Amino acid sequence: MGRRDFLRNLAITSGAITFGGSLLAACGGSTETESGGLSIGTPQNPIKLPVTTDAIADGLPNESGTLEILNWADYQNPDSIAIFEEKFGCKVVTSIYDTEEAAIAKLRNGTFKPDLILGMTDTGLAKLVAADLLQPLNKSYIPNFGNVISGLQNPYYDLESQYTVPYFIYGNGIGYRTDRIDKNAFAGNGYDTLWDPQFSGKLALLDSYRDTLAMAMFRAGNFDANTTDAAVITKAGDDLVALREATNPKVDILAYQELPAGNRDINFTWSGDLFTALQYLPEGVKPDVLGFWYPDKTIAKNDFMCVTKAAKAPVLAHQLINFLSDTDNALLNREYVGYQPALESITVDLLISSGTIPESLVDALVTPEKYDAGIAQVSLEPQADALWLEQWTRFTAG
Amino acid sequence: MLFGSNSGRVSPQDKLKKSPRLWAGFAFPGTIWLIALFALPFYAVACIAFGTIDPIFRDAVPQWNPLSWDFTQARQVLTSLATGPLRGVGLRTIVYVFCAMTLCFVVGFPIAYFLARHAGKRKMMLLVLIIVPFWVNYLMRMLAWVNLLSVDGLFTRFMRIFGINYNWLDGSPITVTLGLVYGYIPFLILPLFATLDRLDWRLIDAARDLGANSRQAFRLVTLPMSRAGLVAAGVLIALPMFGDYYTNDLLSRSPSTEMIGNQIDFFLNASSQPQNGALLVLTLSLFLLLLMSFYLRSTRQQSRQVTR
Repeated sequence: MGRRDFLRNLAITSGAITFGGSLLAACGGSTETESGGLSIGTPQNPIKLPVTTDAIADGLPNESGTLEILNWADYQNPDSIAIFEEKFGCKVVTSIYDTEEAAIAKLRNGTFKPDLILGMTDTGLAKLVAADLLQPLNKSYIPNFGNVISGLQNPYYDLESQYTVPYFIYGNGIGYRTDRIDKNAFAGNGYDTLWDPQFSGKLALLDSYRDTLAMAMFRAGNFDANTTDAAVITKAGDDLVALREATNPKVDILAYQELPAGNRDINFTWSGDLFTALQYLPEGVKPDVLGFWYPDKTIAKNDFMCVTKAAKAPVLAHQLINFLSDTDNALLNREYVGYQPALESITVDLLISSGTIPESLVDALVTPEKYDAGIAQVSLEPQADALWLEQWTRFTAG
Repeated sequence: MLFGSNSGRVSPQDKLKKSPRLWAGFAFPGTIWLIALFALPFYAVACIAFGTIDPIFRDAVPQWNPLSWDFTQARQVLTSLATGPLRGVGLRTIVYVFCAMTLCFVVGFPIAYFLARHAGKRKMMLLVLIIVPFWVNYLMRMLAWVNLLSVDGLFTRFMRIFGINYNWLDGSPITVTLGLVYGYIPFLILPLFATLDRLDWRLIDAARDLGANSRQAFRLVTLPMSRAGLVAAGVLIALPMFGDYYTNDLLSRSPSTEMIGNQIDFFLNASSQPQNGALLVLTLSLFLLLLMSFYLRSTRQQSRQVTR
């Protein structure tokens, strides 16, 4: 091989190597499941999830060292974590995920090895259990479990709360700038506002195919957020394509930053994002520039905390669940995160009386009535999931 | 007597010339590197693309035996690229990259030309000054632009002085294209500068002496002589641009500016159809292979011309 040939070959491969990241990412390990199927609970058919291992024994000492958490970005108060670290003499390390699908894939192939997962929802729970990634909880370490909203102490997705303790509750709706949009714009079918061309370039939707396609279904009067009806799913896809053509929306999970910054006027998002947004308001901007339209019929749900089966510090993981389920600690955590803790003691009245909620955002609070009237969103069977994704691709491919 | 007259001994240079295996040996570490970090992963991507999907987790299940590869999904993706939803993404990617490359050449060539021809002793200092900002991580530089281009950002307010009130971050193709230019232009300037710096400028003087005006000298002498550098620089920036997804993620996040890299990212990381992501990687790689072939053909032709 001559020098020129050597350099030529090097040039070829150096070009090709630019794809290395994608290629290696694509090589992430995956193994075929031995599970017979997904255990999916619904409000109509609550489920007691299968248990393959025992919970940790009572009375074990706290581990020393590090507690590893997997969580959404900005979804825990650093001050709360610092207090926990000081109290239990440990260090808490947090990894971030931005979609449940990616998190579960990385948990399965070992990229993530946390002790505790925060913020996962029941759409991901079935897969976590099927992959045997969780361990049952020992409630003797979680005396504050009694603080959890009574209706969520025995949730349909995890009867007897074997694996999960609720973390925050929220509903899907539309956040907007009150200085640019009048609340009367949402009279009638408020969802139509998202299709209004006057907001072109100033509008965003959630980067969550389940939430956003369901929103399009609700607008059209179909209120089954877990439908497997191909015609309904296709119609939702058609409507989102029409929305895209009309308003050139952004698709992300950054409402809590972009609305207060004034970079957009209107955003289909989770209600809790508007409370988080209060912390991102530029200096001198009043909190009442943020408003929220909470639809009569929308998804209302909670996320939860769960301990992984491979946890190296399972006792500390239980302790942090208990810590965050304490009323005072939960309030401190809420000060940063914004979302409503799923605790009975933290009522809407308490939050309003705290003076931290502007009048314009009272609608974003999830009352027990709103929660009960909320539409549940559960895991989909793979074939139905593929139909939803097909329509999502039509929308996002532009 | 120290050198040369000892006819019975072979000099080190002669040894090198007579040892082709030695040259081949230099390629050995690179070959191992490429097999481990390119060939094998690429094969794995193909195995995922033509494999199956876990019915429960919707993860990719690679099919390692090529004889059992299933091409059903590949047909669907190719159909989508040809006539379906992915067609727009593919065409948009080509247009964005073409525009960004053109702008890179328009901006980068004069800079490289100035540095090589007119910068004199300050050549290296100026080159470093141009390159230094790009030592900052790409992500950080793009995030900085997000701040500058936001509604109340410094750049947006500055442009309002001139009556330009443009919402740069509203999912604008212009912003994405300019982001690509900003991100990749140093990788164009450097190889171009290296080529232009080695040019024999006496040929320009000769052309002028023979009656060519400055434009003709540039068109008939400078440009042809810098062709190899132009092609190399173009290939160098085109390859990462085609696979880029974070420029769009940070500066737009709009479906109307989605590039093929965004779809690959979505299919691999956030969907239950990772096969589609792997198939798009393969398709894009084949497309880029065509560009690379053009580059190799061009350099080969150039080297033949030099040899003559």
